[in-house]
Order: sequence, then structure tokens, then C-alpha cells
Amino acid sequence: MADTPEAIRKAFLTYLIIGGILFVGTVITVLVATQEWLDFGGHGFDWHDAVVGMIIATVKASCVAAVFMHLNHERKSVYWIFFGSLFFCAALFALIGLAKENPIHDDYFYQAGEAAAPVGDTAAK
Amino acid sequence: MSAHASSHSGHDAHADHHDHHDPGFLRKYVFSTDHKMIGIQYGITAMLFLAFGFFLMMVMRWSIAYPHEPLPGWMSWVFTENWKARWLVDGKVTGETYNMFGAMHGTIMVFLGIVPLGFGAFGNYVTPLQIGAPDMAFPRLNMASYWIYLLGGLVMCASFFMESGAAKSGWTNYSPLAGFADGQVVNQFMAGQTQWLIGLVLLITSSLLGSVNFITTIINLRARGLTWMRMPFFVWSMLVTGFLLLLAFPPLEAAGIMQLMDRVTHSSFFLPTGLFTKSEGLAEISGGGSPLLYQHLFWFLGHPEVYVLLLPAFACVAEIIPANTRKPLWGYKSMVYSVLVLGFLSFIVWAHHMYMTGMGAAVSTFFQTTTVLISVPSVIILTAMLISLWGGSIRFNPAMLWACAFIPMFGIGGLTGLPLAFNLADLHLHDTYYVIGHFHYVVAPGILFAFFGGVIHWYPKITGRYMSRTLNHLHFWPSLVCMNIIFFPMLLQGMAGFHRRWYNGGDGYLDKATALKGDGPNVFANTVAQHIDMNILMSMGAWTLALAQIPFIINLFISWKAGKKAESDNPWHATTLEWATPTPPGHGNFTTEPAVYRGPYEYSRPDHADDYLPQWIEPKEKAPKKTESHPA
Amino acid sequence: MEIPYVVTPRKDTGLFNSKIAIWLFLASEVMLFGGLFSGYVFLRMGADYPWPERTLPILPGLLNTFILIGSSVTVVFAWAALKMRNWMRFKIFMAITVLCAVTFMIFKGIEYNVKFHHQAVRLKDYTVLEGHLGKEMENDKPVLDHNGKEIEENTIRVKADSLTFNTVRFYKPWVEEALSEAKHRGSKVTLASDVEAVTEEGKGKQTIAKAGTPLSVDLLEEIAEVHLDARGHNADLRTAALKAEWKKAKQDNPGSKGWQLAANVSIDTEALNPRLLTEIGTVKFNVEPPCRLDFKPRHIQEGEGSSRLRDDTVVTGELLESPMVFHNIDAIDFTYLAMKAVERGVDPEVAIENSWVIQNKKWAREAWEWNKAQTAKLEDRLLKDYGVDRETGKPKREPTAKERYRIGWKEFVAMTDGADRGEGKTFLKEEFVGPDYAGREAKHTFPHAEIPREQVAFASKFTPSWNTYYAIYFTITGLHGLHVIGGALVLCYYLLFCRKMYLENPEWLANRVEVAGLFWHFVDLVWIFAFPIFYLM
Repeated sequence: MADTPEAIRKAFLTYLIIGGILFVGTVITVLVATQEWLDFGGHGFDWHDAVVGMIIATVKASCVAAVFMHLNHERKSVYWIFFGSLFFCAALFALIGLAKENPIHDDYFYQAGEAAAPVGDTAAK
Repeated sequence: MSAHASSHSGHDAHADHHDHHDPGFLRKYVFSTDHKMIGIQYGITAMLFLAFGFFLMMVMRWSIAYPHEPLPGWMSWVFTENWKARWLVDGKVTGETYNMFGAMHGTIMVFLGIVPLGFGAFGNYVTPLQIGAPDMAFPRLNMASYWIYLLGGLVMCASFFMESGAAKSGWTNYSPLAGFADGQVVNQFMAGQTQWLIGLVLLITSSLLGSVNFITTIINLRARGLTWMRMPFFVWSMLVTGFLLLLAFPPLEAAGIMQLMDRVTHSSFFLPTGLFTKSEGLAEISGGGSPLLYQHLFWFLGHPEVYVLLLPAFACVAEIIPANTRKPLWGYKSMVYSVLVLGFLSFIVWAHHMYMTGMGAAVSTFFQTTTVLISVPSVIILTAMLISLWGGSIRFNPAMLWACAFIPMFGIGGLTGLPLAFNLADLHLHDTYYVIGHFHYVVAPGILFAFFGGVIHWYPKITGRYMSRTLNHLHFWPSLVCMNIIFFPMLLQGMAGFHRRWYNGGDGYLDKATALKGDGPNVFANTVAQHIDMNILMSMGAWTLALAQIPFIINLFISWKAGKKAESDNPWHATTLEWATPTPPGHGNFTTEPAVYRGPYEYSRPDHADDYLPQWIEPKEKAPKKTESHPA
Repeated sequence: MEIPYVVTPRKDTGLFNSKIAIWLFLASEVMLFGGLFSGYVFLRMGADYPWPERTLPILPGLLNTFILIGSSVTVVFAWAALKMRNWMRFKIFMAITVLCAVTFMIFKGIEYNVKFHHQAVRLKDYTVLEGHLGKEMENDKPVLDHNGKEIEENTIRVKADSLTFNTVRFYKPWVEEALSEAKHRGSKVTLASDVEAVTEEGKGKQTIAKAGTPLSVDLLEEIAEVHLDARGHNADLRTAALKAEWKKAKQDNPGSKGWQLAANVSIDTEALNPRLLTEIGTVKFNVEPPCRLDFKPRHIQEGEGSSRLRDDTVVTGELLESPMVFHNIDAIDFTYLAMKAVERGVDPEVAIENSWVIQNKKWAREAWEWNKAQTAKLEDRLLKDYGVDRETGKPKREPTAKERYRIGWKEFVAMTDGADRGEGKTFLKEEFVGPDYAGREAKHTFPHAEIPREQVAFASKFTPSWNTYYAIYFTITGLHGLHVIGGALVLCYYLLFCRKMYLENPEWLANRVEVAGLFWHFVDLVWIFAFPIFYLM
């Protein structure tokens, strides 16, 4: 644990390296979003780019959490607390997603309403 | 540590306690940082809110039982002339007023009454004592949670006096209904619906601070020797409750903030495209939002919230029962594991409140399964409590009476929940009085009974005096009877299809020509006719229940000064650490640094002459090394 | 009494109190932002309009990311300096951190400010126009309103001849506004007729206010008081009467149920009427001579002859032309229109050709033709560079819907410069705050346009109300900004007021800085996700 002055002095370099990684990661994310030669998937934004962007962001976030927030050497209870919340957060995403992806869908119910209104009318005040 | 913390003469239990550094009236009673005073503040405030919520319900019950008759003077005297002119028509409760009272009854009872009473009052007073801590880990934060809670509550209730009235979209505040209610108010900060959201955000902030404080205290301030498996069940419950509050509330805070944005900045988080209202025509909003998202975020809190209400009640009962049966709590370890599983599962059952929103079969099945699973740990806990009674020499003192009543009452509440867990049965029962009966059985005769027991149990520690037995009995028996009179017919009405939001108790559905005979062509009208008279019985029960609370209120205040004095610091001969403190405990709680040598419920040990062996008594000779739990 | 483990960690848990607390707090923050981000995901998944992809200028977001990452490094250095008992170094690094926070908020403020002054409008045919609203002009000079401010040309104008206020619900600031505006235009607002009321039981009518009394909030409040008194009095009387009726009915019909009697129990209105006081629900005021009053679109439900304000005030009079006037249109967006066309099985290009702007505005047609040519060029190049997919026979890469159907400000710049898309010359400042209208006015880069009110379906500034993307963007970044401010305040406190604590108990201060640092890193962590999600996706 980086608590003694010597250990902390050593850790300075680590902090700088992590800072560098974060800068580079950010630049790469922007390049993926703006440059055609780094465009994943089809032309323009699509889910490939989103996945790449999120992976880079996750890596960056892990670096911050592990090194700056000292999660690489922390007590067990902190792991329980923090990863517990991440777990429930994931459950929140996953289950709402599941509910959204699996609705009872009656095509007739939706089409009847749509067909009745010509373009433009539904937005009329 | 706190070894030399407070220099009072705590050994004399009956001596009036004075801290040497007298902090002055304000610091001692109002802006106190002492967990015990904060607990008492929480308790009194919460009971006042409970009384207020109860009053709202009494007015609603009038509207249900006598929808055509003006509100009688014994209830309407509370209101000003102007208020009555605004909210009652010819003295009758209107649908709008009923909705307002209904929404606020739910909100007040849940967020301002039960949670603060269980977690805020009992948790604050008892937890640090039971773990041998001098105070909470962050006393000033503790004070802040109380004041933010009070502010939130007052903000919510202040809206009763506004032109717009208080929130009236149900305690769940579903959008888009809630997003549009009070939309005609130009200054949105003067609208009840907005005030509700602001109040809610404040309340959530308060409970977040509270839960951070509780969990830190329990993790880090346990006395020497108080290992995890030696912690009283009470503390375990509070720990799990803390985690539920910590992790379940923020999504609702997010939803509250989003709905606040919808109201104040006219965004469309929860408002779908093409929303048409009678008052505004096609709404002037962008649309594109998702009403279901609000329900998901709300119930992500909403379900764990049920256990936030329930666990402190379990906690109280789990302390009262062993002390009065003179037996160890049966299955302590399985209860602890059950409560942990309960806490975990409660996060993934929420959408069983949403079967009617058009979820597909896969999702419904998932939530149905987890919901049924979660009944397992609840039943384990309840069964363990029931078995704890077996073979004990039970002292039926008032606290124990309440605890004993809790078990079957909560049992009814819990078991009536099972049909609601099943998708198919729920389609019929959804939003009927069956649901109301179910959760009121859990909360009113269940949780509240446990809290009454808790008040009586810890009263001698708080004040140094017992509550009056006679008044306790006068409170208990009528309450028990009335509760069942009120809530049992709800189950029957619910199965007959009575909707929970009928402000006139079903009067509108009667076919007046044939209703008496009940054989008209309108089948539903016949069913309503068969069940509508129960309304009057239930309302009578509710008003009588109000009368039955008077002995308790008198008892609470009279006994403080005039009750029978407690003979010792440990009047119930209980084993947990709070009874090792002087009575009432001074600032800093313990006179000597407490240490724990054994499990929490060591009653009737065969190797011991006394029938109880408190946690803090040092073993006389070197006993063989014991495992951390109680003896089997 | 002293709380243990404030400074030194407890042996078995290995943690001091505030460290547990901050981790618990962060856990709840994870759930809070988790809730909000899940909101983002599901709003985006469920959006029934084209989600605005990559719509914000990247540069400020990128700079802010760098700033926040830098501050994360410096805050950990500051903590390390404290651990090594180097006060000077601590102060330097902490000062840099706070400075970073301030810069972050300044950039954020600039971004927000630009959005708040940028107007969007969705026409009834789903065409979306963006730009800056014009100010009302006369003889090349801005017209000033009654507050001495320029008038943005997005108001509903009514030539009002009367105002009828609801005595209970009227909104004071609006009354004062209308009064001041009428005065500014040389009109008087006076009571239309005498307000007479019975104010005491058994007495005759009294005049509360005479016709011709000028409008004032005081007068309205006075009338409101009379109204409320009467309302309360009457309600009491009616309640008492109904109670008496019920008592009688129950005595006459013992054993009958309430709902059986209800139909026959009612108040004897004729007997009661003489005792009732006069309730004055509304008061009408005349505007003489009739004059133009302006209202914000959201405040009024306009109608021919009679319009209603949100506070229930009825404005009668002629509804004037109230167009939305853009002095600079900086984007024409047909993506929504194209989406709706596809949904209804119409060729999007045909739908666009038939849209109101293309039919009526020359500049729109020109821009659309230019854009079509550019898209064709891009299509060719993509086909040349990436080829055709063998299985489907379609080009591997195709222009996006945004490229096909949205003509943004950079496209306008390129078109004016005669360059191809993406090759117009922009300035660094423009990458930050959007197009420089004044600077480009000479070349007429951005067209002026008048949109008749009846074409407007929904209009908003780029605020949370414009669409769910901006709603969630402002909510998450706003909440994140509040966290930045909160964290910076705490760090600032340690920087400025904790010298004494450092001298007495440096370890305690180090603990505090560590805890605040943990919070600060978490704020950084949220931004690490917020930046790509809002700026790049």
C-alpha cells in the first residue's frame, strides 16, 4: 500500500503514466469519432463505434479507479461496497433493457392509430 | 476510545443524568448531535406525521362510506373556511380532494412516517448502543439528516395550503399524469406536484446521509469482541436496511430530478409523443419520452422500500421475543443469512408492480420467479420467530403482546401477497382493494405493531420508567380488533373487483334501480351492491382505531414523568449491549469501554445459574473457547 | 466522548470512518448516475425521432476532458505531497486542481450559454430549422418593448380589446406585465363595468369598484378578497343546508342506505339564494384604445378572437400575424422528415421536395440541391474507396442519414465558399461557440427567413425542452457540474483553511484530502463516460 513516503515517491511515476494513458485514450476516442481511417463498422456512427468508444472509456475508468482511487490495493469491505453497487447498477440496466426488449406488442393497436393520421397532422397544435 | 468519555455517575441508574459540559437547551434538545436525542426527534416527528397521514385517511374513509353527505364537523373543523370552499363541494369530499389526500396519505405514511420511525428513530437510538459505540460515526451528519428530513416533510405538506393543493397523482406519482397535474400553475414552485418532487429529493438526500452514517457506524464502531456473528439481529437488519436505502434510493432521485426537469424546464423525459390532454389539447412538448422509464426507476426504489419499512419491524420483534420468552432466538444464523438474501433479492423483483404495463412473457416470468423466491427468506425469518416462542416461559408483557400480534398479522399480509406475485392472478387483482388490503396488513397491523412493541420495550431505557400496563392494554386490544375490521373486508372487496381509486366507494357503479335485489342485468353492478356496505363497517373501524390510539398518546407522555420507575438498568433482564448503559444513557453512552464476550441471545444457558448471560459480562474462569454464535 | 477511528484505521477493517463513508457515498452515486445513464440508454433506444448524433461541438468537451484528467492527476499529487509532509507542494497542486475545476465550469458555462441562445423549430411537415431569432426592427433600428428590451420575433401578438382575469388564479407578474405593455403603447386598461356584490347577508348590493377604474394588482386583490369571503360564506351555508337535508331524510326513511336516498336529497336552492353573497369569479377590463400585446407562445392558447393564458386570463381581440423570424438560419434538418416519410412508405427525397421550405424558400432549394450533389459525390468516393459488399451487392459504406438530409452550418459555410463539404474554412472560435453570424453576414452565408405561425409545430431554444437528447444532456452534465462545484469547494477549503489542522494533525488532513480526492476521481470517472456518450455518439 502506497502509504510510506518511499512508496509514494515511487508511485509518482505511475500516476503520471496513468495520466498519459488517459490523455491518449481520449485522443483515440475522438479520432474514432471523427476520422474516416479509424471509423469502425460502416460509414459514420454505428454500434461498432459505440462499442469501441465504450471499451476505451471503460479502460480509462478502470485506470482511474485502480490507480488514482487505489482500488488496486484496497480493503475487502470497499470492494464489497463498490462492486456491489456496480452489480446492482448492471441489474438496473439489464432488467429495464429486458423489459423494454420484450413487450407485449399488438401491431394492430399501433397501426390503427398511425394510419388514421396523415403526415404532419399529429404534430398540429 | 470512550473509556473516560463522560464523567457522570452512571452507576446509579435513577440519578438524574447531567453531562458536566451542559450544552444548553438548544444544543441538547433541538440541534443535538447525540444519536439518542436525534432518535427521539425522529420518533416524535414521525409519529406526528403518522397522525397526520391517519387523519387524511379518516377523511377519505368518509368519502368512501358516505360519498353524498357533507364531511361531519368533528373532522371538518380542522380546515379553514377558505380551504373548505376551495376543496369541498357543499361540504362533500370531491374526487380531486380525495386524490390529493390519497396521494399524500401514501407519501406521508411511507416516506415521512414509517421509514423515519423504524430506521430513523429505532435505528438511531438503539444501533450505537447495541454495538457499544459512543455515538454514530458522524454525529453532525446525523443531525443534518434529521433536519433535511424535516424540511422535506414540511415542504411536501406546505403544499396543502396552496391554491393548487398538494400532489394528487398517487403516491407513486406516475408520469404523464403527474407530469401534467398542476400544469396550469404559472410559477411551478408554487404547485403541489412540484413541491412533492422537491420534498422527495430532500427526503432521499436525508436517507442517503443517514444510511452512509449507519453503515459506517456498524462496520467501524463495533465494540471490542463484537464480531459479525455476535451482532444482535437488530443490527443486522439495520445494516441491510442501510444498504437498501443507499443503493435503491438514488435511481428514484434520478427519476425525481428528471420529472422535476419535465415540470420546470418542460422537457419530455417521461412524456410520450402526441400527448393530448383535455385542458391543453395537444401538449406543447417535444415528446419522445418514456412513461415506463419512470415506473422502472420508481419501482427500483419502490420494492426495496418495502423492506426498508419491514426490516426495522423484524428487528424490533427479534429483540422483544427472546427477552420475553427467555430463550435464544431460534435459528439466529439462518435469520441473518435470510435477511442478507432478502436484501439482495429485493433489488431484482421490482417489475412485479408493473405486470399490467405490457411486459412480455419472458420478463414477467423472471420477475414472478424472483418475487416468489423472495418470500422464502421472509418466511424463514417469520418461522424462526414463531419457533422461538416454542417451549419458552413467555412473559406476556405489553411489548410481547404487540410482538405476538405482529407474527400472524404480518403473516396474513405476506401470504396475501403471493397471489399478487403471480402474473396471471395479478391481472385480476391489480389496483383493486385486494392490493390495498395486502400491503396495509403488512404495514399497519404488521410493522406498526412491531414499532409499538419496540416503543414499550425500550421506553425504560429512554426514560427510566415503564409505560402504564393498563393503558397499553387499552391500546392493544381495540387496535388489534379494529385493524382486522378495516383491512380484512378490503381483501374481499378487492377480489370482487373494487378499484383502489374510487373516491365514492363504488357508488358510481351501482345500478340504483336493481341494486337492492342485486339481480339486475349489469353483473358488475350486482357485485358492487353485494360488497358496498362493507365500506361503512371499514370506515367505522378506522375511526374507532383513531380513538384507540388515544391511550397510547396519553401513555407516551404521562409515563415519561409519572410512570413506574425501572428497577435497574436492565429491567427486562436482556442480554444485548444497550442494557449495559446507565439509564438514560448519557452523552457518550457507556461509562466503561464495553467489550463483548458472547453471542447476543444467551438466555437459559444450562451451565449458568441466571437465566440470562449478557454479552458484556466477562467470563469468570477461562471458559472453553466458544464459536461465535449462540448455543444451539 | 470521542469517536474512534477518525484518523487511524480500525485494525480488523483496515479503514478509517470517512473512507468507508466516502465509498458508501460513491456507491450511491454510482446508482444515481446509473439511473440517469440508464435513462439515456432507454430514451435513445425508444426515441421516435432521429437521435441527434454528434451534434455538439467536440472541442470544448475535449478540452474539458483534458482539464478534468489533469486535475485528477494533480489532486493525487497533492495528497501524496501531504503524505510526505510537503505543504508547499500540496498547495501548488491543490491550487492547480481548483483552477482546473474553475476552467471546466467556465467552458461548461460558455457551452450552455450558446445553447440557450440558439433557436430550433419543427415545422408541421417535420422539417427542422435551426438558427438565431431576429429582433423586431423599424427603420433599421431595433424596436424596444416596455422594459426597454429588444423584442425577439417569436411572440404571439394580439390586438387586445379586453382582458378578463380569474380572480383566484391571476398571476401577478403577468398582470403587471400586461399593464405596463398597454401603457407603453398608449392604451389604458380600465374596468369594463361596475363590480357590484352583496358582501353581507341580508344587505343590498354594494359597489366594490366603479367602471373605468384603472387596472392594478391591488384592485384585483381587493376583488379577490370579496370573492373568497363570499365563496367561504356560501360554502358554509350550503354545507349546513345539505347536512340538515340529510338529517331529515334519514329520520324520514329509517333503515334506508345512503346511496338510495342520495338522489332525493338536495339543497333547497331557492330558500338559500337570498342568503348567499355574490361570488366574483372573473373581472373584465377594457383596453382602450385596443393595442398590441405580446405573449410567449408557451403562455397562451391562441384562438381567433379570444385567447387564453395559462393563468386563465382571457384576452379578446384580433390575433395578429405572429411569424417566427430567423435572422440567421444555420441548419436545415430533413432527417426527421425523411424518417417519417420512410415510416409511411414515401420516398424521402420526394417528401423533401414537397416540404414547405423547399416549395417556398429559394435559399432552401439551393442548399438542398447543393447538398444532394455533395452526397452524390460522397457516395461515389465511398464506392470507389471501399467497394461493394459481395453478398448483398450494396456499397460497403454509404452516406449517413445526417449527411444526406441535414444541412448544417459548416455546409452553409462550404457552400458560400464554393468548397466541398467539410472543406469550408472555419475559425477556431467557431469550433467552440458555433458560427460567427456577424462575421459571415457580408457573404450572406446564413439566410434570413420568416416562418408563418401556422407552419410551426413545435419551437424551442436548445434547452431541455427541445428533445430528450438535450434533456438528458443538460440533466447529466448539469448534475455533473454541481458535483464539480461541490468538490472544488471542498478542495478549496482544504487549500485555504486547513493550515492549522496540518500543523496539529497532518495525517488527519491527508485522510481528508484522500477522501475528497476519491470523490474528485469519481467526478472524473463520470465525465469519462459522459464525454463520448454526449459528444461523440
